[in-house]
This record gives sequence, structure tokens and C-alpha cells, in this order.
Amino acid sequence: MTAPSGPAPAGAPAVRCRSLGVSFGAVRALHDVSLELAPGRIHALVGQNGAGKTTLAKVLGGLQVPDTGDVQIAGREIPPGDVRAAKAAGLAMVHQHFSLPPSFTVAEALELTAARPGGRAVYRRVDLQQRWQDDVAEMGGKATLSTRIRDLPVEARQSLEIIRALATEASVLLLDEPTALLTPAAAEALFERLRRLRADGVTILVVLHKLREVAAVADTVSVLRDGELVLGPAEMSEVSQGRLSDAIVGPAGHSDEEVGVRTAGHHEETLLELAGVSSDESAFEPGLSGVDLRVDAGEIVGIAGVEGNGQRSLVSAIAGLSPLTEGSVHIGGYEMTTAAPARRRLQGLRLVPFDRNTEGVSQSAPLWLNQSALRLIDRERRYTLDYGRRRLVHSIAPPRRREPGRMAQRLEDWWDKRRSPLISLRQYKWQATQAMDRWRVRYDTVTQPAESLSGGNIQRLILSRELDSGLEVLVAAQPTRGLDFAATEFVRRSLRGLREAGAGVLLISSDLDELFELSDRLLVMYGGRVVAHFDGPYDRRAVGDAMTGAVR
Amino acid sequence: MTSGLRRAVWTVVLVVVSFLITALILRVSGYSVGDVFSGIIQGAITATGASTSTIRWAIPLLLIALSVVIGFRAGFFNIGGQGQFYMGACSALAISLGWREGPAGLVILCGTLAAMLAGVLWSLFPGWLRVRFGTDEVLTTLMMSFIGALVLQYLTAGPMRNPQGTGQTAASERIPEAFRLTGGSGVSTTVLLLVAGVTVLVWLVLERTRFGLTMTLVGRNATMARWQGINVRRVGLGAFALSGALAGLAGAVELYGPAARLVTGFSPEVGFTAVVVALVGLLNVWGTVVAAIFFGGLQSAILFLPIVTDLPPPALVLLHGMVAFLVTIKFRAVRRRRAAGAEAPAG
Repeated sequence: MTAPSGPAPAGAPAVRCRSLGVSFGAVRALHDVSLELAPGRIHALVGQNGAGKTTLAKVLGGLQVPDTGDVQIAGREIPPGDVRAAKAAGLAMVHQHFSLPPSFTVAEALELTAARPGGRAVYRRVDLQQRWQDDVAEMGGKATLSTRIRDLPVEARQSLEIIRALATEASVLLLDEPTALLTPAAAEALFERLRRLRADGVTILVVLHKLREVAAVADTVSVLRDGELVLGPAEMSEVSQGRLSDAIVGPAGHSDEEVGVRTAGHHEETLLELAGVSSDESAFEPGLSGVDLRVDAGEIVGIAGVEGNGQRSLVSAIAGLSPLTEGSVHIGGYEMTTAAPARRRLQGLRLVPFDRNTEGVSQSAPLWLNQSALRLIDRERRYTLDYGRRRLVHSIAPPRRREPGRMAQRLEDWWDKRRSPLISLRQYKWQATQAMDRWRVRYDTVTQPAESLSGGNIQRLILSRELDSGLEVLVAAQPTRGLDFAATEFVRRSLRGLREAGAGVLLISSDLDELFELSDRLLVMYGGRVVAHFDGPYDRRAVGDAMTGAVR
Repeated sequence: MTSGLRRAVWTVVLVVVSFLITALILRVSGYSVGDVFSGIIQGAITATGASTSTIRWAIPLLLIALSVVIGFRAGFFNIGGQGQFYMGACSALAISLGWREGPAGLVILCGTLAAMLAGVLWSLFPGWLRVRFGTDEVLTTLMMSFIGALVLQYLTAGPMRNPQGTGQTAASERIPEAFRLTGGSGVSTTVLLLVAGVTVLVWLVLERTRFGLTMTLVGRNATMARWQGINVRRVGLGAFALSGALAGLAGAVELYGPAARLVTGFSPEVGFTAVVVALVGLLNVWGTVVAAIFFGGLQSAILFLPIVTDLPPPALVLLHGMVAFLVTIKFRAVRRRRAAGAEAPAG
């Protein structure tokens, strides 16, 4: 299907675009972006969430038709939005979200999606495996050709995406946030791979979030901010870390966003307690075996561990999403071992799920409905009216939107008192607006679908729902994964604020720096067990050893 | 709102296109398109009793289509409305024939409740299979629908057959005239008020209650709903139950209204046309009302056309099918886009 790229005219840049512009309705995703990437080097593209990085990558790959401007790859003009022409010119793309069909085996997926010359309409399984053996050998034994995609760990899926992209002998490789889901070690392995590819003469453009990663792998760096190219491509050696972060955040971006937290004093009480908890293994992970865990008021307890070592099972056990085989769970001092998820939430358990796009929000549902989800399970309205010991998490900033008219408000109060089965959408929307404004979610109307928000904004939306006045204990799973610097800082500040306010926080993260920075205590999970406890200051090596199972 | 308007306009365009295609096919087959379409207008609106007949057909279509809408909200495709409708009608008939001397109001009330209960049972079984074992409800509700049709056939040919009946088709006895809510036209103030009330109630439940909003969340993303502490199974069963109750109610309204007795395989298409009605109505309560009246008109015209043209009745079913076909294609496209919408537009 794809012809190998012809020889590029001597001296031509590997990728060149001129004055690209893309708008989505009123939102300007890209504005007048011109970029030239020299061949045979690793170019990093950075910027905040919503700065236009993904859009730029899509335009270059022919997946998005630009409103203005043009794209050349290896000196060849690419008609706007022509994916095939981009491929034929030697460009291959690895997307932010994995796109391989989960039910296919590795060999089938490769054959289907990376079709290279010599494919047949009808194939035998054995032939197929032979065809792809060499490619997959590079993956380092983590997967075999007959493994199904859904059974692969994230790193392996990522490598597979890259193998697929390279199967057509691409000369330009585009990676959109490839490290978002990877552990630090897997990210380093990926970088090593990229360096080898560079040695083979492949030009690489990689979208990254962490400056540390940019410094580790990139030859040049370009910065997008609000859809404009504000820096680069500049040689890494010539750009200071400070200048880079200034370019990313922009002149006004340093102003501190404060979400105020009213301190309710410290409680010497245990808000979350797991005793000897075991559970069955799931499709992705080992089950828990004999996990003991305690989170007190006013502390952040970190959970470190390589992904897939029972973190999901742990959260399921706490949230009541899957049954336990042994042990007990107490939330806020109450026995909750067999309680329904709703009951636990009403007792003050809040969750920031692992995957915000599927577990955290409903993409196609309007913002206000996503925001109101918690109110829907509170049938008796105990929680919205008066619920238990309240810890108010509220904003110092005044609300920006107008309240509903006084008559309407009174009417709604009346409805409320009557405990009518009917609810007031106006009130729901207004409350959602209030909460989202407090958490600085950027949106146009409360009725727009959640999928129209960028990743950082979706996380803010989730926080605005979960960190409400009823919160007692928060389980935050990978809360900053894939977020930009500003959003990451914001989330971390919010977690610290919760601790100050006397809530308990269980922080599950694969970012050790984050865990070291925030946690009062650190537990390490390995194979479904808690294998080690640490108190700060933390010894990176000791934690690392525990994570890899060296300590038992 | 604007996107809702755009979808509505698109739907109207598709309906017009299906008319044009049908016209083309009729033309090629040698019929006079002008005659046929003036016949449709007459049969649906202008001829004597035509508009009443339109409403008469719109009523069961609307009730069953609303039941489809409810299923969709919670993410289920209950296409077994026909069987639930039959079972509802049979239950109401059993109560009405078994208690002929009862006070009319009470018998009708009991019959209607029994009809709704029968509808609930008929849809709850596939619903339970779905939430318990993940069985595809499209298949199971459809199968249950065929079973319902066979039960009706058995009852009207066997235990409930009118002993004095002569004709070839198996039919039950007529219910006492006192139990009827309308004359043979099938339309009366009582029935119109009842249907309007039910429609408003459905709208309120869907859009203004916790249950309705919860259903929407579950239908859009059950995983997220689970994480939010929503009991996804219970909501699913609730949706199936409510959905079945409406289709069962349609059966009672049919019996106490125009039918008065049950004939094997009566109104054979109403349950399936209702699915198209719900889709054309964009799965929205008020849109469904409009679509139900439109399809009620078509149904009425189908019955009228043979009087004024030499067109065989099945020819207009072609039009039905065409609308269903085009609208379903569009619907599939929307769903696909929704499924693909997992990635953010800008990042």
C-alpha cells in the first residue's frame, strides 16, 4: 500500500509547514505556525494542555485539514488532509491514545494496521507469525505474536504502536505524548529506541510534557502556546530550563491560582482502614493478598509501584467496585466491607480514577451532568442539605456567574423542602457552574459535552466534583498523569490543601518525584501486596528496589 | 441546541429523500406519482375521518416509541415492543372478559395495570439476561417479541377464541361496550388526555428526575457511572421495566380503544415502526411525538390508498422501509462518531 519514500531533494527539511491555522468553532487551535525540522534529529514539541500540540501533529499527519497553510514532508508537498500522501512521503504517526484493536493478537493487529508489501487476502496463522517475528523480537520478550492486545501491559502496547509505525520504513516518525502512560523505566527504554532510530537516519518529532524528558532525549525543542509557536525549533544546548518554562507558561501564567481550603483542624482519627484485604485477580492485574493500610485524617499516604501490581485492585476494593475474598474495609470509622459503592461515597469517599476519559467522565454527556453525578446517588439529600462532619473546601474567589433570580431560587427551595421527586435542572446547572468556576475549568457553556475539554480541564472537572464539602478521604489514582506543568502543580496544591483541611488522601502514582514530594508515608505495592513502608525522607534506591520486587 | 436543530433538519431532509426515492421507484414501475401522493395526503389528512385515523395510529406508535426512547437513554435497544404490546393487550383482555360484570372504571384500571405488568415482565426477562450475563438485548427482545406473537395466536385460536366466531381468522370475543374508551375510530378525549399525560410524565421522568439523569449517565458511559457509585444493574432493570410498561400500556389502549377484541396478528408492524418513530424523533420525547403523528398519517394512508389508486398496499410499506433505512444509516453514523469521540479535539 505504501511506497518507500523516494530520495528527498538534497538539503530539504524533513518536515516543513508554513503559516498553519486551525480553528474549532470559536477556539483557535493553531495560528500561523511555521516550522522546519532538520532531518535525522530528535525534535521535541512542548506546551500546556490545549496549546495545540496534538492538532499540529494531526495536521502534519494529514488527519486534520488546516484552514490555512501548507505542509511539506521530505520536500514533497502534501495535499491538506491527505493521510495517504503523508504516509507515502514517509511519515508515520503514533497516537496519544492507543489505537490497536484489543481483541486481536499482536500478529493480526500488525498485519491489519501496518500492511506492508507481500500481504495476502487470506492468511494462515503460522505464516502471519513468521512475517512479523523479527519486528516483535525487538520488543524484548514482553509479548509473543499470539498474545492478544488487551492482555499486553501499556509499555508493550506502546512499543507495538511504534513497531507498527516503523513497519513501513518511515523516514519521519511523529509521536504524540508517548510517555504519558509509561513508567520512568519504560520511558527511558523508549528514548533509547528513539536514539537508535535517529542513528538510522529517522527524523523524530515527539510531543512531551516533562521538561526532564525533553532534556533527556531531544536535540531541538519547539514550544506552542495558545496555538502559536513561541519558541524554536531551538537547539537544546542553547535554551535554558528557565527560558523554556517561561515560553511554555507565558508571561501571565505564573500568577498563582489558589484554591482556598478552610482548615478544620487535625483529627487524630482513621478515615480509611483496610485489614488483611484480599481479592481475586482481574484481567489486567493480580488481586490483592493480605493488604493492610491506614489513612489518617490530615495525611497523604503514597502508593508506589510499577503499574499493574495491584493498584487497580486496591482502588476497586476501597470503592466497592469488586468483592473481597478476605479482610475488612472501614471508611470514616464505619464498617464498609460489603457496602455498596454509593454508600461509601455518601460516607465521604471520593475518587480520582485512573483513566479520566472513561472512568472519570462521560465524554458525550454535558458538563453539568458530569459534574452532578455525585448528587444523583444522594437520594435523601442528606449530603446536599446537611451531612455529617463537614470539611468545607471552598474558594476564596467569589463566584463569577450570576445566581438564578430570587423568585426562581425561592421556588427551587420550596421544591427542595417538599422533597419532590422532580429536580431543578437550573439548580443542578447552577451548582455545577459554581463548582467548575471555583476550580477554574475553562468551558463555554455547561451544556457542552465533556469531550470538548482538554485533558487538564477534564481533570479539573473531576476535582470540582470529587473535592466537595462532603469529602473525608480521597483516593487519587494517577491524578497528574498526562497533565502539563501548570495543571500538575494545581492538582498537587489541591492535594496538599486537602491534607491541611484534615482530609485523608491516598495517592497512587507512578511518578516517584510526585510521591516523594507529597507523601507523609509511602507504601510500595508489588504483585498485589504491600511489600514495604517508608517514612520521609525517602531513599530513591530503596523505594526502587522494593518496586522491582528486590525486597520481599 | 443548534446541534439539536441541525440533527432535526437532517432528519427532515432524509425523510424527504426517502419520499423522492419512493416516488422514483413508483414512477419506474408505471404508477402515477401525482395520484399516489395526493392519495397519501387524502388518506392522512383531508379525506373524511382521515385525520382521526392518523391520530388513532399515532397513539400506539407514540407509546411504544417512547418505550424505545427510554431504553435508549439507559443504553439499551429494546426492539421487542411488538411482543410487549401483544402481551399487554392479552392481559387486559383476560381481565375484561373474566370480570364482565365489574364496574367499568375499575375493570379498565385493573386491565391497564395488568397490561403494564405484562409488558414489564416481557421486557424484564431480556433485561435481566442483559445485566446479568451481558446477553445482547437486541436479539432477546426480538425473540421475546416472536414468542409474544405466538402466545397471542394461541390465545385467540384456543382458550380465548370466540365460540360464536365464524370467519377464518382466529379472534376473541368482544369486550363489553361499557369498557370501551373510544368508538371504532379509536380517538376520544379520554384517550387523548391519557396519552398526553403519559407523554408528559415520560418527559418528566427522563429529564427532571434523578432516575432519568442517572439513566442518561449509565447510557452514555456505564463505567463512569459505576465509579460514581451508581448501581448500573438496577438502573438498567428499571429502564427495561419502564420501557416494557409503556409498550404494555399501548396494548391496553388498543384494546379499550379501537380494537375491542383481539385478532391474531393485529397491527403487525406497529412495534417495529415504533423503533423507526423513535429514531426519526431523535430519541427525544417531543421529537417522537411529531414523528409518531407523521407515521400515524402514513399508516392511515396505507389503509386508504387502495381505495383511490390501483397501488397494492405493500407498495407504501416501501416508503416506510426507505425512511427506516436512511434514518438508521444516519443513526449508525452518529453512534460511530460518538464511539470515536474518545479523543480530545485539541491537546
